[in-house]
Amino acid sequence: MPLLDFSPLLHGQFLDWLLAGVRLSLLLTLFALCLALPLGTLIALARLAPFAPLRAVAWGYVEAVRNVPLLAHMLFWYFAVPELLPDGLKAWLYAGHIEAVAALAALVTYTAAYMAEDVRSGLRSVPQGQWLAARALGLRHRDAMRWIVLPQALRATVPPLISQTLNLWKNTSIATVVGAAELMYQAQRVETASFRGFETFALATATYLGVSLLITAAGVLYQRRYPARPAAR
Amino acid sequence: MTLTRRALLIIATSASLMGIAHADQLDDIRKKGELVVGVLGTDEPNSFIDPKTREIVGYEVDLAKAIADKLGVKLRLKQLAVAARIPELQQGHVDLLAASLTHNKEREAVIDFSLTTFVTGQKVLVKKESGIKSLSQLGGKKVVTVKGGTQEPNIRKAVSTVDVVTFDTGPLAFQALQQGKGVAFVNDEVSLLDQFAKLGPAAAQYEILPTNLSVEPLALGLRKGETKLKAQVDGTLRELEKSGAAEQLFQKWYGPQTRLKFQTRSFKIDSDQVEG
Repeated sequence: MPLLDFSPLLHGQFLDWLLAGVRLSLLLTLFALCLALPLGTLIALARLAPFAPLRAVAWGYVEAVRNVPLLAHMLFWYFAVPELLPDGLKAWLYAGHIEAVAALAALVTYTAAYMAEDVRSGLRSVPQGQWLAARALGLRHRDAMRWIVLPQALRATVPPLISQTLNLWKNTSIATVVGAAELMYQAQRVETASFRGFETFALATATYLGVSLLITAAGVLYQRRYPARPAAR
Repeated sequence: MTLTRRALLIIATSASLMGIAHADQLDDIRKKGELVVGVLGTDEPNSFIDPKTREIVGYEVDLAKAIADKLGVKLRLKQLAVAARIPELQQGHVDLLAASLTHNKEREAVIDFSLTTFVTGQKVLVKKESGIKSLSQLGGKKVVTVKGGTQEPNIRKAVSTVDVVTFDTGPLAFQALQQGKGVAFVNDEVSLLDQFAKLGPAAAQYEILPTNLSVEPLALGLRKGETKLKAQVDGTLRELEKSGAAEQLFQKWYGPQTRLKFQTRSFKIDSDQVEG
């Protein structure tokens, strides 16, 4: 077994590459979270809507997305979707960072499906009595959802959503297949140039683990500060 | 003895035991009765999957077969990604690399090489409509290539301001070029010619720039210090060269009857030295 030597990786060009990778991974996570969370909430609301066709569409979305591997989503958003766009838009997109844009689109659609299921479970955890009471007070479906059910549901939903954010952070690594220069991509690049594969991937793994632990800690803190309170039945 | 120290001792002992067990790879290969050779399987005609038989065939596969026959063992092929080649060899998951591997000075620090088995250059394929005629026009433009090879460093050396995007395999990178996600595709000349030929009539929209980015001597890769195995491998290659079999293999995979239509062979299998 060759001796471990991290020193070539911790300064100069190799470190710059790795840091650039960490930056893109974090940005992908942040942007995907900011887009997937509202989208997922909308889909969850659609799944519980009183209008049946809307429920069917939302159900179709969740099942179609969750049952296809993320890798396939990535390749689809990079190789297939942009080709369907009008020429002008396509050329503009290709001149920019199409790799990161496609990766973001894949992560958002994928994560939104999972987040929708978490939000839906949270909504369903609010006892039926709360609905009935709201309606009895004369609130419409929309207002009952907004003022009575959602505030209670969100508290129960935050812990699983934090766990989805953890998955999202790890899933950014798949973006390497479409050439998005995130952490995994840069780690492979450093490995090729330095022949220090073990050390490079040890550093990348430590980074994934470190950020994951921070996200987990955020989840624990939230649960301690705001424990889910079961509503009175 | 603390637990940590004990753990360290166990690791050190087992590492040295492994060292002894693998002291001679050639003996191990003979004992196992098989030679495990890492190939790409995605780089026609060096190693690729024959659409009819679904088996991996090619120039380098034939060389590997000749070596396994010479050792009197069975040949087992293992398909590898470009970037995984050297780590897989170092970790002993394969005995030999026959994977379109460039022999260069940097890599000599980590692995050994056989005699040079093929000489190619790296070139740049562009779409004609891009109007690009020379390497210098690639500055600031997006160029696609394969992850983990010498292509990326070579194009960066040639054009320092180029924006490189890499993919796991040549065909994926080529697909990105076809869709216009980059203006140029850098690869070994042989792979480029092969992909060019596969385009059929659409080939008229593309052209290969005349400048050579580099001369790439391809060789088989071996783990460092396995002198007995290297002697056997080099011996087999020398015999192939002497008997004319090497020339026949070149004609079979690269000659005028193939899609690549090389008229003559510009190299001989006779040296394991490369220029820095």
